[in-house]
Amino acid sequence: MVTSSYFCYFLVHCRWHAVSSWTWDAQDETCGICRMAFDGCCPDCKLPGDDCPLIWGACNHAFHLHCILKWVNSQSAQAHCPMCRREWQFKE
Amino acid sequence: MTCDTSSSGCGLEKLESLSDDSITVISENWNGFCSSSEALLKGSGDLSFSDEFVMRAKNLCKHGLSSLVEQHFLRCIEEIFERNGAKRFWSYFEPYRNAAPSETNKDLILEEEIQQIICKALEEISSQKQFQEKCLLLLARALQSYEEDKLQGQANPDSTRVYLLSKYQLIVSSVLLASLPHHFPGILHWYFKGRLEELSTIAAANSEDEEELGMDDKMDLDEKSKLPYKCGDMDSDISHKYAVFSENNKLVKNIGMVVRNLRNIGFTSMAEDAYASAIFFLLKDKVHDLAGDDYRSSVLESIKAWIQAVPLQFLRALLDYLGDFTNCNDPSPGLKSPLASHPSCYSGTGIPSEGLVRWQLRLEYYAYETLQDLRIAKLFEIIVDYPDSAPAIEDLKQCLEYTGQHSKLVDSFISSLRYRLLTAGASTNDILHQYVSTIKALRTIDPAGVFLEAVGEPIREYLRGRKDTIKCIVTMLTDGTGGNPNGPGGSGDSLLEELNRDEESQENTTIDDDINSDDKQAWINAQNWEPDPVEADPSKGSRYRRKVDILGMIVGIIGSKDQLVNEYRVMLAEKLLNKSDYDIDAEIRTLELLKPGIEQKDLDISLDNVNATIISSNFWPPIQDEAINLPEPVEQLLTDYAKRYTEVKTPRKLIWKKNLGSVKLELQFEDRAMQFNVTPLHASIIMQFQDQKKWISKNLAAAVGVPVDVLNRRINFWISKGILAESMGADSADHAFTLVETMNDTGKSGTIDGGCEELLAGEDDGERSVASVEDQLRKEMTVYEKFITGMLTNFGSMALDRIHNTLKMFCIADPTYDKSLQQLQSFLSGLVAEEKLEFRDGIAEISVNSLQSIIACYLIKLRILRDEKETKPSKSRRWIWFVIEERGAIVYLLNAVYDVN
Repeated sequence: MVTSSYFCYFLVHCRWHAVSSWTWDAQDETCGICRMAFDGCCPDCKLPGDDCPLIWGACNHAFHLHCILKWVNSQSAQAHCPMCRREWQFKE
Repeated sequence: MTCDTSSSGCGLEKLESLSDDSITVISENWNGFCSSSEALLKGSGDLSFSDEFVMRAKNLCKHGLSSLVEQHFLRCIEEIFERNGAKRFWSYFEPYRNAAPSETNKDLILEEEIQQIICKALEEISSQKQFQEKCLLLLARALQSYEEDKLQGQANPDSTRVYLLSKYQLIVSSVLLASLPHHFPGILHWYFKGRLEELSTIAAANSEDEEELGMDDKMDLDEKSKLPYKCGDMDSDISHKYAVFSENNKLVKNIGMVVRNLRNIGFTSMAEDAYASAIFFLLKDKVHDLAGDDYRSSVLESIKAWIQAVPLQFLRALLDYLGDFTNCNDPSPGLKSPLASHPSCYSGTGIPSEGLVRWQLRLEYYAYETLQDLRIAKLFEIIVDYPDSAPAIEDLKQCLEYTGQHSKLVDSFISSLRYRLLTAGASTNDILHQYVSTIKALRTIDPAGVFLEAVGEPIREYLRGRKDTIKCIVTMLTDGTGGNPNGPGGSGDSLLEELNRDEESQENTTIDDDINSDDKQAWINAQNWEPDPVEADPSKGSRYRRKVDILGMIVGIIGSKDQLVNEYRVMLAEKLLNKSDYDIDAEIRTLELLKPGIEQKDLDISLDNVNATIISSNFWPPIQDEAINLPEPVEQLLTDYAKRYTEVKTPRKLIWKKNLGSVKLELQFEDRAMQFNVTPLHASIIMQFQDQKKWISKNLAAAVGVPVDVLNRRINFWISKGILAESMGADSADHAFTLVETMNDTGKSGTIDGGCEELLAGEDDGERSVASVEDQLRKEMTVYEKFITGMLTNFGSMALDRIHNTLKMFCIADPTYDKSLQQLQSFLSGLVAEEKLEFRDGIAEISVNSLQSIIACYLIKLRILRDEKETKPSKSRRWIWFVIEERGAIVYLLNAVYDVN
C-alpha cells in the first residue's frame, strides 16, 4: 500500500501488484552438466527455484545442485569440476 | 324391339335350321321377353312382370338362345344404368366442380351440403343397383332352372348367379369410371377429411373427459404405446376406448355407409385412397401442430397416442362395420386392393385384424417420417438451443432409427450450416459454440460418430480459415470457472463440464477394459458388435470413430496440439499476471482437465507466494518488455523488495517487469473519490499529475519513460474518465494535458465515488502483456524467410503446399521445420502484407518490389565477381539464367550467380 504524503492535487491510495522474474546470479546461462537453463531446473526436477538450487564450486563454476551431486557421487576418487578439471570443492 | 345385330351372331346358325313354327314361337317369345324385360327394368320396384319375364326367358333358352337372352338383358341393364343411374349420380356433383378442390376454403355450409349430397347420391345409386341386381337374379333363376332341367340337377347351383353378378359389377364400375368427372376424387377427399376432423375433435373432447376422470387410463395408454410394434396390446384399454367411441358410432356408421356404397359401385380403391389420404393429411397436420416450434418437450409419444386414439379407432370402427357387411352379403369380396383393409379374420375378440395392424404400421411410419422431416428442417435451431432442446433430439433419434434416413439429415444440416453459420457475419465464438452443441446433439443421435464426422467437416474446414479460432477455443476452455458473467451464457462452462464428464467416462471405460480381459465379456462384446452405417467413410478406421470426445474434435480444428498448448500458455500467463490474489485453484483445475487431452510438458507454473508475482522466466512465454518509469515511492519500494529478496534467496535476484501487473487505484479529489483497476503504466501516468497540474505530452512521456505515441494512446483512458483534459498543441508531441480537479470543470453532474472501473492489461488491442502467438510464430518463422524467397526466386511461383513440402524436405537440420500448413500460410500472408510476396490463387510469387531488390543484390554480386576478375566460373559457382515473368508484361532477364554450395 502506497499513500502519497507530500503536497498534491489529489490523494492516491494504490495497491500495486508488481511483476518480476527472478534469475540466478550466475555468470553462465546453462548448467554445464545437464545443459538445461539455470533458471529452469535439472532433468529430475519439475519446479525451479528453491526445489532445484544452484551450487557454486571453489572454482566459481555453478551447476544445479542435483547435477553436481550426481557427478560427485559417480566419481570413485576425488571428483573434479566438469568445466575446469580442478578438484571439486563446494564454495563456502 | 328387334334382334340386335351385334348380339345375333351367337344364335344365327340355330335360326337357320329352325322350322317356321318354331320361328313363330321364338319371335313371339322374344318380343315378349324384350317388352317384359324393359318393363321390368323400367318399372320402379314393380316385379309384376317377373313371371312373364322368367317364362319367356326359359322358353328362349329351350330354343338354345340362352346366351342371346343373357347378352340382351345385360345390354339393357347397362343402357338404363348409364342413362339413369350414372348420369343422375354425376349430376349431383356437377355444382361442386370448382368448389371442392380448394382445401383452404372452410365453408361449413358447403361442406355440410356436400356431405349430404354424397350420402344421398350414393344411397340412390346403390338402391338402383340393388334393384337391377334383383332383376338380374330373376334372369339367373330362369337360366338356372333351364340348366337344371337340362342336366337333371347336376349343375353348380350358384355358378350362373355369381357369373352374372360379377359381370354386372364390372358393367357398373366401367360405366361409372368411364364417365368419372375429374373433381370427384377431390370431393371424396374433402368429405373424408371433414368427417375425420369432426371425429378428431370428438376424440379430443373425450380424452379430456378421461383426463378429468383419472390419469391412470391415459398413462396406461402411454405405456402401451411405448411398445409400438406389439399390436396385441390393444385389448382392454382399447376396447374401453372403443366403447367411448361407439357413442359416436353414428358418425362412423355414416362414413362406413358411404365407403360401403362406394365399394358397392366399384370404387373400392378410390374410396380407400380418399380416406387414406385424408387420414395422412390429418396426421401430418397433427404432427405439425404438436411438434411446431417447441423443442423442449418430446412429442413422439403424444403423436403415437393420437394415432391410437383417432385414426386407428376410426379405421377399426370402419373396418368392423364393413366387415360385418361383407361377411353377410358377399362371401368373396372380389379384388383385394394392395392397401388391403379387408378385415379377413376379425371376430370381435379384441385381436386386431391384419388390416388394422398394417394400417398402424403405415401410420406410424408416416408419423415418424413427417416428424423427422420437420425436425431435420429445423435442426439448426434445435441445436442452437441444444441443452433445452434435448427432447426434440431424442425424438429425432427415434425417428431416424425407424426410417433410416440419416443421409437426409446430413445433407440438409450441412446446407443450413453453410447458409446460416459459416458466413463472415458469424463470430468465431458462436461458430464454436454451435460446433460443440452439434457434437453433443449428434452424439445422442449417432453414438458411432459417423454422421458427426460428415457434418463437422465443413465447420472445421471453415474454422481453420479463421485467425482467432485458437484464441476462442482456449478462452472457451479456460473461461468456464473464471466466472465471466458477461460471457455468452456460460457455454464455456458447459465445455469445461464436458471435459470433466469425458474424463469420468474415460475412467469408466478403462474399468470396462479391465473386465474385457475376461473372455466372457469379450464374447459378449463381440456379440454386441454392429456394423458401421453404410454412410461411413471406409477410409477411416472404425476404431477411430468409436470415441467421440469433444476436446479431440476441437483440437482437430486447430490441427496440432502444440498450437493449442502455446495459446493456452499465453492465456494462462496473462491470467496469472493479472491476478492480484493468489487464488489459482480454478486455473489448476482447468489445467488438470486439459492434461489428458494434451500432453503436458511445459505448462508447469511457479508461483512464489510472496507479496508480488515472481515468475521463473523459463516457464513462461516470452513477455513483452517495455521499460517504464514508475513513480518515485513505488520505485523505491520495489528496489527495497528486490534487495530483501536477494538477501533471503541468495544468490538469486529479481528483475522487475515494471510494465506488468495491475494496480488498484483510488483517487481522492476534493469532491469525489474514484476507484480504478489499471495497468502500471496508467497508474504512473496519473500519479505524475499529483504534484504538477499540467504536462506537455513530450515531457510526460519522458517522465514516464515511454515513447510519445504510446503515451498518447494510453492517456486516452484518463481523458475518457474525465480526470484529464486534453488541449491540442501544434504537433502530437506538444499536446497539453490538464488535471480536472472538480467535477464542475467538465460540467458533469453526479459523483462516481465508489464506482470501480476496470481496465486490465490486454483489454485494449495490441496491448497484451504477453507476446501473442502470431508474434511468436513470426519470430520462429523468420528463419525460413530466406529459404522461401530463395525458392520462389528460383522457381518463379509455387503453390502453398509445395513450399510446405519443400521446407519439410530440406529443413531437417537446425532449425527443423515443424510448422503446419496453416502456420506457413499465415506467415506468408504476413509477408504479403509487407509486400515481399504476392499470393494469387494459392500460388506464392516474389513481388515486384522484392524481386527488384534481389536483382540488385545479384548485380552487386556480379560486379564483385568481375572485380575479382574471375573470368571463368569455378566449379563451385555456376551461371544460371533465370527468366521470371511477372504479370505477363514485364520480363526480367536475370543473369545471376547461384551458389551451389
